[in-house]
Amino acid sequence: MATSVYLSNPVFKVNAVALTGFCTAATLTQTNTAQDTSVFGNVARVYSSTLQDNECTATLYMTYGASEVYATLKALVGTQTTVVLQEGTTVGNKIWTVSNAYLETLPIMNAALGEIQSIDISFQGGTIVETAVV
Amino acid sequence: MTKYIIISELVGNPGDEFVPDEGINVEALLDGGFIKSDNKAPKSAKTEPTEENPNGN
Repeated sequence: MATSVYLSNPVFKVNAVALTGFCTAATLTQTNTAQDTSVFGNVARVYSSTLQDNECTATLYMTYGASEVYATLKALVGTQTTVVLQEGTTVGNKIWTVSNAYLETLPIMNAALGEIQSIDISFQGGTIVETAVV
Repeated sequence: MTKYIIISELVGNPGDEFVPDEGINVEALLDGGFIKSDNKAPKSAKTEPTEENPNGN
């Protein structure tokens, strides 16, 4: 049976800063990189898991005010930090903490006439730990 | 050990102490104005005046 989870009250934190109020979309993808371990005699490819290669992406309204989005992210480019994605704030909701997530690029400006500026950022790598709201 | 105080409500309750978890880039938070350092310089020891040093310098 299919079920749906509506992320009505998710939490998104970067480097301990809650950017929830600027975030319109977030994705956390766990990837275990496959290595081909097929050998003679196999009739189909066989893959084994090697390193994790996780990715966390988010769409944020870009603001340049004091203690807002740009102030949060500008010093993190080229470094590893901690990213937290939380399903909601209800007891039992899941919390995913990505440690050592690497921010390679930051779109400093993404302006278009008549539109509210937003940016897409991507954190690469890191390890995911799952906990729950208590 | 340096103590940090929260300034921005995006990090926590302003005025509360901020204890960074492992992996948190504290410098970035300081640069962004989210927290401040609460470094108080230790008071220097006061020298009591003596006959040889009446001003206590």
